Amino acid sequence: METRRTFCAALTALAAGAWLPGCRDKAAPGPGGGAGRLRIAVIPKGTTHEFWKSVHAGAVKASRELDVDIVWKGPLKEDDLKSQIDLVQSFTAQRVSGIVLAPLNDKALVASVNGATRAQIPVVVFDSGLSGGEVVSFVATDNRAAGRLAGGRMVKLLEGKGRIVVLRYQEGSASTREREDGFLEAVKKGGLQVVSDNQYGGATTQTAFAASESVLLARGADKGEIDGVFCPNESTTFGMLLALEKAKLAGKLRFIGFDASDKLVAAVRSGDIDSLVLQDPFKMGHLAVKTLVDKLRGQAVEARIDTGASLADKGNLDAPEIAALLKPDLAPWLGK
Amino acid sequence: MKAWLARPWFGPLVALVVVYLLFVWLSPDTFARSVNLSTMARQTVVVAIAAVGMTYVIIHGGIDLSVGSAVALTTVVIARVLERGSGPLVAVLAGVAVASLAGAINGLLVARLRITPFIVTLGTMGALRGAAKGLADEQKVDADPSGLDQLMSALSPSSPWLLPAGVWIALAVAGLAALALGYTVFGRHVVAIGSNVRTAELCGVPVARVTILVYALAGALAGLAGVMEFSTLTVGDPTDSIGLELAVIAAVVIGGGSLAGGQGSIAGAMVGAVLMTVIRTGCTHVGVPNWVQEILTGAIIVAAVGLERLRRRR
Amino acid sequence: MARQVSRLELAAIAKAFGSTRALEDVSLSVAPGRIHALLGENGAGKSTLMQVIAGAERPDRGSMRLEGLPYDPVSPGQARERGVAIVHQELSICPQLNVRENVLLGAEPTRLGLVDARRARQRTERALRLLRGADRPLDPDTLVSELSPAEQQLVEIARALAHEAPKLLILDEPTSSLGGDDVERLFASLRALRDEGLAIIYISHFLEEVRRLADDFTVLRDGRAVLSGEVQASEDDDWIAAMVGENVTQGAASAVRTPGREALGCTGLVSASGLAGVDLSLAQGEVLGIAGLVGSGRTELLRALFGLEPFSAGQVRVRGQRVVPSPAAQLARGVGLLSEDRKSEGLALALSVADNLTLSKLTPFGRWGVVSPRRQRGVAAAWVDRLRIRCRDVSQPARELSGGNQQKVAIARLLHHDVEVLLLDEPTRGVDVSSRAEVHALIADLAARGKAVLMVSSSISELLETCDRIAVMRRGVLGAPRPAGELSEHGLLAEASGA
Repeated sequence: METRRTFCAALTALAAGAWLPGCRDKAAPGPGGGAGRLRIAVIPKGTTHEFWKSVHAGAVKASRELDVDIVWKGPLKEDDLKSQIDLVQSFTAQRVSGIVLAPLNDKALVASVNGATRAQIPVVVFDSGLSGGEVVSFVATDNRAAGRLAGGRMVKLLEGKGRIVVLRYQEGSASTREREDGFLEAVKKGGLQVVSDNQYGGATTQTAFAASESVLLARGADKGEIDGVFCPNESTTFGMLLALEKAKLAGKLRFIGFDASDKLVAAVRSGDIDSLVLQDPFKMGHLAVKTLVDKLRGQAVEARIDTGASLADKGNLDAPEIAALLKPDLAPWLGK
Repeated sequence: MKAWLARPWFGPLVALVVVYLLFVWLSPDTFARSVNLSTMARQTVVVAIAAVGMTYVIIHGGIDLSVGSAVALTTVVIARVLERGSGPLVAVLAGVAVASLAGAINGLLVARLRITPFIVTLGTMGALRGAAKGLADEQKVDADPSGLDQLMSALSPSSPWLLPAGVWIALAVAGLAALALGYTVFGRHVVAIGSNVRTAELCGVPVARVTILVYALAGALAGLAGVMEFSTLTVGDPTDSIGLELAVIAAVVIGGGSLAGGQGSIAGAMVGAVLMTVIRTGCTHVGVPNWVQEILTGAIIVAAVGLERLRRRR
Repeated sequence: MARQVSRLELAAIAKAFGSTRALEDVSLSVAPGRIHALLGENGAGKSTLMQVIAGAERPDRGSMRLEGLPYDPVSPGQARERGVAIVHQELSICPQLNVRENVLLGAEPTRLGLVDARRARQRTERALRLLRGADRPLDPDTLVSELSPAEQQLVEIARALAHEAPKLLILDEPTSSLGGDDVERLFASLRALRDEGLAIIYISHFLEEVRRLADDFTVLRDGRAVLSGEVQASEDDDWIAAMVGENVTQGAASAVRTPGREALGCTGLVSASGLAGVDLSLAQGEVLGIAGLVGSGRTELLRALFGLEPFSAGQVRVRGQRVVPSPAAQLARGVGLLSEDRKSEGLALALSVADNLTLSKLTPFGRWGVVSPRRQRGVAAAWVDRLRIRCRDVSQPARELSGGNQQKVAIARLLHHDVEVLLLDEPTRGVDVSSRAEVHALIADLAARGKAVLMVSSSISELLETCDRIAVMRRGVLGAPRPAGELSEHGLLAEASGA
C-alpha cells in the first residue's frame, strides 16, 4: 500500500512537472520588455582567462550604470563549442531579454543566434565576428585598424627602410587575418620590404615556436637579413620571442606583437619586444552590454563598434592608460 | 507496483523528478516552459545515444573511454566528406563506419590480446583524437551541412513532430537497444558475460565474438552521436567532446550500471542523461556560476548512485 | 611423572551450521614441541575445527585453553595476538611485495605513522631464523614473485611466526601445491620449528606424509574425534578404518546398464595444470567415477577434456573422432561440464534461474536471434518442476537459492542442452541429503538412457553407490578403472592417499 502511494505521488509530480508549465507558456512575459527588469545573458568564450575577467568587469559596470541584470555564463570547459551552442539555446528557451555573445566559431553559432533572433531575443556579438547571422551589432577591436597601427609603428621604428617577416596565426582565423592584412598594408605603404608573409604559427606556442625557428633560419635572420617581425596574437608572439631568444637575436631586430601576458610585458621592459598592440576587453564588455540595452530601449545603434587598440612600449608601460589595460583593477566590479 | 519499484532506474527517476521540480520551483517563469523542455531534449541527444552504447559495454563488464574522441572524429569525417561534395547520407554513413571500425578495433584488442578495456580505450582515446586533429589539419572544418543541421534544429511551432528528428532517433535507438538487450541471444549473452564471464565460457557463449560486437556497437553509436553533434555544430571540430566519455559513463552509472558488470539498463542510462541536462540547464536558468554548477553536478551524481545502492541493500 | 601442560586443550567443542552438525563433542590435546596430524575424509569437520581454533568461527558449546589459560578468540586477529596462527591451503601472499613486507603485512611496526624499519627488520629476521631448517635462508628484500612455491609457502609460515611469541601453528594441506623436493624443504623447516618448542597442527590427506612428519594424530569422522594417539604406535589400516567407520560401502554392480561404444576418451594427456599422461575411455551408458584427493588432477582432467584448460600433449576423442576441445565446440558435440566451483564459475549468481538454466542454449526460443522470455521461462519452469528445484519462480536470482538448488539449476542446464556426455565435478557438493539422492537417481536414469557420465567426487562412498567403474587419480596419473563391485571404500581411500 505504502509503496503504491509513493509511486502514485511520484507519477503525479512527474505529470504536473511536464504539463502544467506547458500551459503557462502563454502567460509568460513578452521578451525583452514590458515592466520587468532587463535580464541579459553574457556568454564569453571561456571564464578563466584574464581577458574574459576584464570583459566581465566591463559588463558589470554597464549593468550598474544602466540598471539591468546580467547573467555571466561561459562554457564549462574553456573553448568548448558544443557547450557554448547549448548555452545560447538554453538562454533562448529561458527568454532572457537579450544575449551578448563572443562566438567561438564564426559559422557554428549562426543557427543558434538566428534561433534567438527569431524568438525576438536580440543578440550582440563581441570580440569575434559571425559570418552571416542576424545580429544587432558587432562590438570588437577593429583588427584591420589595429594591424595598421602596428604597421605604422614598424615603419617609424625602421625609418621607412628594411625587410619584414610576418608570422601568421592560423588558416581560417578571421580576426588575426585582418590584423596581418592591416599590418602588411601599412608597412608596404611605408616603403618596407616584406620578405615572408606565408608562414603560419598554428594553434599553440609550441607550434608557433617551431614555425618561428624555421622562418628565421630560412630568411637569414642570423646574418642580419631581417629587420622587423610582426606576430598577430599572443601565442605566435610568445613562440617568436622564444625562438629569437634561443637564436640570440632578441633585441637585435624590431619586434611587434599582439596582446599581452606577464612574459610579453617583461620582454617589452627588457627591450626584446619593441611594441605590443593592446585591445581593451573592459571596454568591449561595457560597450557590448550598453549597445544591447540601447537597442532594447528603442534607440538606434551602430552595426559595427570599434573598441580601439593601443600600442604599449618601453616608454609608456607605466602610463596610467596603458597600465589600466595591462593590469586592470577589476575589484570594484567583480568584488575580489 | 513492486516490480516497478525494483527496477534499477526507479531511484534515478525519482532523483530526476526531484531535481526537476526543484528547478521549476527556483525558476518558475522560465524553467518549466515547453520550449525549454524541447531544448533540453535536444541537448540530451548526444549523451543519450552514446550512453546506449556505453550501457552495453558496462553491462558487458568493460568501459569505453574513447567515446568523446570517436564523436569528434565523426564530426570531422562528416565535414571532410561533405566538403568534397558528397551527399549528406554518404557523409553520415562514412562517419558512422569510421566510428564502428574504431569500436571494433577496441573490441579486438580487448578480446584477442586480453588487455583490460580501460587501457585499450585509454589508448584509442588518444589515437582517435589525434586522427581527428590530423584529418582536420588541427582546425575546425567548415562544410555546408547539406541539411544535416535540420536533425537537431528547433522546429517551427506549427510542426506536428513536437520534437526535432534527432530526439526521435535517439528514442528509437534506445528503445531498440533495450529490446535487443532483453530479448535477443546477443543481449542475453552480453548480460551473462558481464555477470560471470567464467560461467558464460563454460556454457559455450562465444565470449570473444560478443566482446568484439559490443565494442563495435558502442563505436557505431558513438558515430551516430557524432552525427548529432555535427548537426549541432555544423562544423567538424577535432577538439570537440573532450571529456564527453565521463558524462556518458556518469549517465550509465546513475541509471544503475555497475562498473563491475552484469548490471545496468538502457532506461536508467536515459534517465541519467536527462538528469545531467536538467542540472546543467537548471543551473543556467538560476544563474549559478560555473564552479558551483560543477560541484553540484558531482554531488548529485554521487548522491543519486549512493541512494540507489542504499535502497537496494535494504 | 609430572605431565607437561598442554599447549592447546579442547574440551567438548560443538558447532552446528543450521541443521548440519559440523562438530560434535570434539576434545583434543596438542602438546608443545610436537606435530599433531589431523586426519579425516572431506566433510569430517577438520576445516570447521581449524576455523574455531583460529578464531574465525565461535563454537556453540565447549571450551578451549591455551597453555592452561582460558582461550576464546572472537576473531582471527585476537587469535594471532595470543600466538595462534593458521596457514591456509591456498597461498595468500602479495607477489609484488618483498619477503619482509609480506611477512609483516597488516602488522607493520610503526613509529609516528611511519614503518619502523629497524624493528621491522628485527622481527622479519627472527621469523626467518625460526625457519632455519631451510637450506638456503630467505633474503628479506627478495620479491616474493621470484621465489619457488615452497619458499612462498615458507614466507606464509614466517608471517604466522612473525608474532612476538608464536605458540601454535596450524597448517592446512601445505603440500598440496608443492613438488617432491619442495615438500622435503618444508618438512625440514617444520621439524626445526617443532624442536624450538612450537606446537603444530598439521592437516593432510597424504598418510605417508603424516607418518614421516607427525608425532601425534587425531582422526575426525562426522564431526567427532574417533581415534587419537601416537603415530609410531599405530598402523595406516587403523587410521583408514577410523576415517571410513563401520558403514563400509561396497560397490553395487549395476546389471541394468550395458555400456556401448566409446563416447569420450583421451590418451597421454599432459598439462601444465598437473596432468602427467592420462588415458581414459568412457563408454555410452556408463557412469565412470574418479576418486582422488583435492589437487590430484581430477578436476584438471575434466576441464582439459572440456577445453577450459589447455594441454601440452596428448589427444582427446569424442565418439572416436579426434577433436580440439573448446567449451563451445564440446557443447556443440554434446559434451557438457558441471563445474565444482558453483559460485564463481558454475552459475552467474546475479542472473535469474531461467537465464542460468538456458544460457548455453538460448537459440530455440526464437528466430533470428530473438529470445522470447515467455517461452524461456516456460522451459525453465518445466525443468524446475522435474528436478524439484525450490525457488519462488524462475525469475528469482540464482544467488537467493540454497546450495542444493543452485546445483540442480546447473545440472538442469546440461539436461536442457541435451548433452550426450556429462562431466560432473562434485555434483553433490553442498547438497542436502534428500537432494543428493535425487541427483544420484538422475545420474542413474541418464546412464540408463545411454548417456555417458564421468564423475568426480571427494566422497568415495558416493562413487561406490553411483558408478559402474571407478579409477583412482593420484598426483596427475589416472589408474585403470575397475568395476565398482570389486572395490571397497577402505581400499580406494588407501590408494588415493598413498598408504
